[in-house]
Amino acid sequence: MATNLKPVDVAVIGLGAAGGVAVLPLARAGLKIAALEAGAWIPPSEFKPDELHNNIRRQVTSGKKVWNEIPTFRTNPNQPARRNAVPPMMNAVGGTSIHYDGNSWRFSPWDFKARSEAIKRYGPNSIPKGSTLEDWPLSYEELEPYFDTVEYEIGVSGKAGNIQGKIDPRGNRFEGPRRREYPMPPLRDTDFTDHMQAAAKKLGWNPHRGPAAINSRPYGGRTSCAYHGYCDIGGCHIGAKNSTSVTTIPAALKTKNLTIFERASVTRILTDNNGKATGVLYVRDGREYIQPAKVVLLASQTYENVRLLLLSKSKAYPKGLSNNHGQVGKHYIGHWAGRECIALFPFDLNIWYGAFSQNVVINDWADDNFDHSGLGFIGGASLTVNHEVHPIAAASIPGFGRAPSWGSKWKAFVHENAGRWIGAYAQCNTFPYENTYLDLDPEVKDPLGNPVCRITSGPKENEPRASAYAAAKAAEWFRSAGAIEVVTAPNPEGPVLSTHAVGGTRMGDNPETSVVDKWGFSHEAPNLGVLSGSVMGTHGSRNPTETIQALAWRTADHLVKNWKSIAG
Amino acid sequence: MKPSDKRVSRRTVIASATLIPISAIQAAPQKAAPQAAATVLTSEQRRILEAFVDRLVPKDENGPGAVECGVAEYIDRSLADFLAPEKGTFLDGLAAVDAFARSSQGQPLADLSPEKRDAVLTAIDNNQVPNLRGFFNRVRRLTLEGMFSDPYYGGNRNFAGWDLIRYPGVRLAVGPEDQRMKSLPAMNHRSAYGGEHGH
Repeated sequence: MATNLKPVDVAVIGLGAAGGVAVLPLARAGLKIAALEAGAWIPPSEFKPDELHNNIRRQVTSGKKVWNEIPTFRTNPNQPARRNAVPPMMNAVGGTSIHYDGNSWRFSPWDFKARSEAIKRYGPNSIPKGSTLEDWPLSYEELEPYFDTVEYEIGVSGKAGNIQGKIDPRGNRFEGPRRREYPMPPLRDTDFTDHMQAAAKKLGWNPHRGPAAINSRPYGGRTSCAYHGYCDIGGCHIGAKNSTSVTTIPAALKTKNLTIFERASVTRILTDNNGKATGVLYVRDGREYIQPAKVVLLASQTYENVRLLLLSKSKAYPKGLSNNHGQVGKHYIGHWAGRECIALFPFDLNIWYGAFSQNVVINDWADDNFDHSGLGFIGGASLTVNHEVHPIAAASIPGFGRAPSWGSKWKAFVHENAGRWIGAYAQCNTFPYENTYLDLDPEVKDPLGNPVCRITSGPKENEPRASAYAAAKAAEWFRSAGAIEVVTAPNPEGPVLSTHAVGGTRMGDNPETSVVDKWGFSHEAPNLGVLSGSVMGTHGSRNPTETIQALAWRTADHLVKNWKSIAG
Repeated sequence: MKPSDKRVSRRTVIASATLIPISAIQAAPQKAAPQAAATVLTSEQRRILEAFVDRLVPKDENGPGAVECGVAEYIDRSLADFLAPEKGTFLDGLAAVDAFARSSQGQPLADLSPEKRDAVLTAIDNNQVPNLRGFFNRVRRLTLEGMFSDPYYGGNRNFAGWDLIRYPGVRLAVGPEDQRMKSLPAMNHRSAYGGEHGH
């Protein structure tokens, strides 16, 4: 028998990048919040500069939930889905914002209206075949105040490229207008970032330093980055990375309105016969609890958001919560991103240290920042080269046609070249398709007996073309930078598991084609809000976290302002 | 030691991390120190593995090889621990490689000359032996892990792996001078787990 707990105003499921920011405006408004988090606090002393522990074994997680529910994958509905070995996320208070690399971007204005913009500029035939692309129900301009709030609340280092329409070529000149400069300057320039910027400028491009949720100087009462080089998939041992666990969550705790339940795995969202959410059922240390709440905010990552809705069947929702229109799991987007162009240089790059987001970024070939006439695709990719290369990854250098993969010749090659190669990380604008969706796996279950999420991701044409185009641009960049070997290896298959997974509970005005409204609340269960990338209708050509956080803040703000009508 | 190493000691950087809720400090116990290195391979299996990885990274003018770096020790410990789920497959693979050595070269792998071991491994790498390429790639991958992971895990002995690829070692604070392209920082032979973990 589940134990009934004292009712609260808001139950938040998942205290990561999204839930971790949403609790702050709620707590400040005086709402009583119970946050159910599958992980626990991780003491900073546990974060180690250890590639095997962090990047290879993925042990920076305080709970095993992510390991127990790794989504399965298939490329067409006639195949059995295969299991995957490594989870895309982690469990902890702070969630994956603990081990992300801190890249903190705003999606571009184009991302919010890709469909109408593409039709306007290139005609209706430019919309990718089989796509279910819609404009978002809100514009960049509507989200701008929340981007600004998030950047200042958590702390983001960067250089503005567009302040209220005034272009500054030292920043991203293609970004949407922002009201003011970033709260901190970019992470430290290095010889490598200077070199790669100069190489891009020689080509007439617009390189810039990317924005990072990492302190480039002391901020928010915390120290600045020590550049030790184990940021990505690792936690920050000095609290200089602005994970929600050191920023918005501690600030919310100070109000005394937030209670965190660690090691709480939510298994169902509960509803009444009228279709209203009434609370959540969760398992903690082997016992079941019911947390009643006036409003439920679902804030785990995309795969788990979709899974939990589909698992939460009831009289009012026989196909899963908020799924009476069959839209939960549809319009899922695995982010098309990878290092499809690599290069070898005749000199040491010395990128061992620093931060993953200590980088140089090219946005000239992203979004609609160039003329696509005759190219056969819309969107594009940002290109990034970065610091922070770990030893095993560096020693995994391909032979570039110059060396075998083992033996003395390999050893001589790796001795000279392990520190002399890089790949350009290309992140593509990625769209939703009919052949790409999430549902429950009919065979694979987690230890509690609940099916895991299953990804079905069919072939696409637009993204591979955009990606190949970007890889060719990366090759130009590398040659301009003095590379002696450049290899492009297109990946026409696209992503399997994606930490950048979005969609699946799309935001829209039409309940026939979306799950939540423009504020992030369910079309069907009025007191259920959804946070995280699962509400996004497209994926931008950059990391999604800050856009997820701005949306989460906006949903929380909307709830505060409309408490009576939403909570009923 | 470079000045940048002195400027911020580990103690000061950790002390400066404020705003961490006290529950974060108290919540989970410290990860246990490395176990007294449980292993799973028999001495015969260990010999086969060493004969194998010795050819992937031989000892030569560029320094110690996989055997001297403790790669077999790393793999053996991992199979007892993190990689326990793949132990059965791994042992089957080792046995199959040894069986192929016997059938193609007339002797167990560990008794063959380096040239003949290379012939065995080349045939496998070139996919001329049914069903062994996957195992070869797995051993190669684990060899990279054993060569270049923190010495804490039993490989990369005396930091010889990091010396080979010229990775300058773990530094908790890295200054601007440590990020120059023209000059790499000095090799410091530091482990993430304190002190010098090279055995």
